[in-house]
Amino acid sequence: MSTVENLSDEERLGLLQGTLEVLILRSLKLEPNHAYGISQFLEQQSDSEFLVDNGSLYPALQRLLQRKWIAGQWKTSPNGRRARYYSLTPAGRKELLRATSKWQRFTVAMAKILAPEG
Amino acid sequence: MRQWWSKVERALGRRRNLASELEQEIDAHLQFLIEENLQQGMVPDEARTAARREFGNMTVVQERTYQSWQFPGLESLLQDIRYAVRGIVKAPALSFLVILTLAVGIGANTAIFSFVNAVLLRPLPYPSADRLAILWSGLGYSGRAPFSSFEVFHLRQRSKQFDQIAGIWVTNGALPGDGAAEQVKVADVTSNFLPLLCSQPALGRFFGPEDDLENAPSTIILTHGVWARRFGSDPSIIGRSVRFGRSRSTVIGVLPADFRLIFPDDASVPPNVEVFESIPVGPWRADGPAFLHVIGRLRTGATFATAQSEMDSAAAQINKLGGRASLGNFTVSVFPFQADTVREVRPTLLCLFAGVGLVLLIGCANIANLLMARARRRLRETTIRAALGASPSRLARQFLTESLLLGVLGGFAALAAGYAAIHAILAARPPSFANFDRVPLDIRVLVFTFAVALGTSVLFGLAPIVSVRRLDLTRDLKESTRQAGFRRHHWTSVLVSAEVALAFVLLIGTGLLMRTFINILHTDPGFRAGNLVTFRVSVPGYAPLHLIQQKLSVLPGIRSASAISHLPLDDAGNWYDYYYREGASSAEQTSVMADHRSTLPGYFTSIGATLLEGRDFTDADDAQHQHVAIIDDVLARQLWPGQSPIGHKINLSDSPQGFYQFQRDWAIIVGVVHHVQYHSLTAIVRPQIYVPYPLAPRPSMSFVLHTSGAEAGLATAVRSTIDSVNKDIPTTHVEPMQLLVDRARSESRFASLLATLLSVIALVLAASGIYGVLSYSVAQRTTEIGIRMAIGAPRAQVLRMILADGFASILPGLLAGFLLSLAVAPLLAHLLYGVQPANLANYAVMLIGVFVISAFAAFLPARRAMKLDPLTALRYE
Repeated sequence: MSTVENLSDEERLGLLQGTLEVLILRSLKLEPNHAYGISQFLEQQSDSEFLVDNGSLYPALQRLLQRKWIAGQWKTSPNGRRARYYSLTPAGRKELLRATSKWQRFTVAMAKILAPEG
Repeated sequence: MRQWWSKVERALGRRRNLASELEQEIDAHLQFLIEENLQQGMVPDEARTAARREFGNMTVVQERTYQSWQFPGLESLLQDIRYAVRGIVKAPALSFLVILTLAVGIGANTAIFSFVNAVLLRPLPYPSADRLAILWSGLGYSGRAPFSSFEVFHLRQRSKQFDQIAGIWVTNGALPGDGAAEQVKVADVTSNFLPLLCSQPALGRFFGPEDDLENAPSTIILTHGVWARRFGSDPSIIGRSVRFGRSRSTVIGVLPADFRLIFPDDASVPPNVEVFESIPVGPWRADGPAFLHVIGRLRTGATFATAQSEMDSAAAQINKLGGRASLGNFTVSVFPFQADTVREVRPTLLCLFAGVGLVLLIGCANIANLLMARARRRLRETTIRAALGASPSRLARQFLTESLLLGVLGGFAALAAGYAAIHAILAARPPSFANFDRVPLDIRVLVFTFAVALGTSVLFGLAPIVSVRRLDLTRDLKESTRQAGFRRHHWTSVLVSAEVALAFVLLIGTGLLMRTFINILHTDPGFRAGNLVTFRVSVPGYAPLHLIQQKLSVLPGIRSASAISHLPLDDAGNWYDYYYREGASSAEQTSVMADHRSTLPGYFTSIGATLLEGRDFTDADDAQHQHVAIIDDVLARQLWPGQSPIGHKINLSDSPQGFYQFQRDWAIIVGVVHHVQYHSLTAIVRPQIYVPYPLAPRPSMSFVLHTSGAEAGLATAVRSTIDSVNKDIPTTHVEPMQLLVDRARSESRFASLLATLLSVIALVLAASGIYGVLSYSVAQRTTEIGIRMAIGAPRAQVLRMILADGFASILPGLLAGFLLSLAVAPLLAHLLYGVQPANLANYAVMLIGVFVISAFAAFLPARRAMKLDPLTALRYE
């Protein structure tokens, strides 16, 4: 967590439109998680480059629920807290595959263009 | 679909559950954060506060999450509407003022637009109205003239572009049927005329070719009105022979109740024709008189342009056939019937439409100022809302929703106001609008009203948005409401300037129209309208007419009595012809047209026309003696410029053999009379020539009685006098000549009345705008004024300060209005008489008027500021 304090809000990367939902799906690929866990996961995985704003996270979760890509279930956490755990549905899994390949193509293409000795 | 349904489900039923679920979820989230903070060694309180800070704005998270359950926009729209309703209800005085202004402003527009719609936009109530054309003949300098039967026959022969060419001539005749003899307007129509304007009769049939045959029995068609009034709506009337004038006719048809005869004002085809008889058309006499007003229906695929070029070549051929056409340049003009019909009323309507548009703009400026002032009063509230996370677009949407709601309410109020105004205008409308008696509030008017209402509400709804466009949260939260409004608002003074400018433009136009009306009031019609009563009679011949004149002349209360074929300002059945002096070249022979008038001796004395030279007719001027004529000074100047026409010979058409049996004839001019305004009070349409009745007998004559003033019982005396000669002579009601004069003035009175009304509204709005803005400014600056006074500012200086504030917007407004008027006033030229658009006196009067009223409106709040008590003012918060 130490790096979090070292990066000011301006220095962090803003999330591109539509990326948050893919990242949420990815974060649920291995195991179900609750909102706080998801935001923790995303910050850690991105080396604190992404700071997930709760004002975006919660509506994004709602959109994913509405599309039936994730399902929510109240469970007790390992440390005894009740929390709502989200898990990928089969449709969500399919969407994650589709979106991952799309983003990979996108980043490769961006990298080609922005490569310093292009 | 499923997604949509789940939204509906959430929106309707499970909202509450979802909300509490979200709350629990957020709570759990916070607990995780707190736990983590505790692990890092914070004390519990510190850990909780830090967790909340880390989580972010909880309300925003909740609101955004709710949004994902909602139909996009719908719920926030409902919320905006609730907010707007609350805003409107919370400020009832302001809302009332706004809605009232809209009701007046938009209502005036609705009313005038209804007329524009009914008169200019809606097709005439005829089958295939867009293919109807009106044809005018031209000869020499005179255009817009009727045709002779001979010409109509030859036009028909040569036309492929028209599938019908029909003619009408309206004259005075007897009301058919038994009962009191009464004179009404009777139209002679070609047998194909009525089917052009009416798809089918209510009863019976239209005229057919069989009615045009020589020796065909006399047949008539009645309007629905006469059928009801005279025959008690008896359906067995069809095929029955009824008394009609001095003979009998068979009724073959009754027109539908909604049939209207709508013709251009100058066609001498009035709307109140009650009986139709058929008139055949044939190549009988090349030099027969031109009296038929002609309409035609274009064949499918033909255009007005192709019809015009066809008529051009037809006219050229008719020129070679003899008759009046052979004398020179006979032309035929084809116009769309509708456009020609509204030719006269169009400019008046469009000017009024522009006028109500200006009033509405002024009203909008006023409302914008009101709403801006309120937006500023609400600045603190708005700022707090912005600080709590309301986005600028959301705030703008709320302001706009409120304006739109006001606009819709105003639109409904305007419909009611417009409906009332339409009926008021219908009651006061001049005869040129007489044809348009149905002005419906149809779908187009409704759409117009609400489009204007919404358009204007966007317009004035932008004002408060502009005024809170740049919120400075820190500054605006710190300032008190009162001080917050103190910042100079550029927009407010621009709006006030615009109001003054627009009001000034309206006043200039109104001034011109009023001047025109005054000029028309004072114009010399060529006769004396006072102490003059008139009525029309159908006459069997000269002897009874002469007898009636003699008997009327000696009635008590009558100074003199005489008769003429056409009354001044009563244009129906008019005809005119070409005249030439002895020795005129053939080109000159068709260059002068004049109205043809048949009179009894004493007419000029009775009507009060001035005999300039020579003598009046006498009873000795008949067919057996020297044929004589009297001309007016206009004709005299045209035919014998610079010399006296007395004793000269003039070629004219007369009919000493009987009704309408015309011949060309020479007559000696025995008198010159001052021109009488027969067609309008303002324009010399044509000169006149007068012929004694025995030379030009007419079946219908109009009596003019110069009375000594006491007219009570006159009508009965007149009727019994006529009955003593012949009980079966149809007459019209006895009417004062003043009625005809008033009717001729009514268009100008109507225009200037409405314009005055609009100007008063505009002035009141503009003045209240100035007053409102300055009052508000004084209220906002009360503390400042108190301070100024406390440190020794004299009261006069305070007064000057507020007045200067007012004049800073009044003077630019006056300047802009002045420049705008210079550009706009010439557009009124068509409606003016005896006054130039750039009339200096008008500008001076209106400039002073608007200045004085604006200054007064500014003075009231300024005086209030001056009278403030410094102590009270300083405590005022």
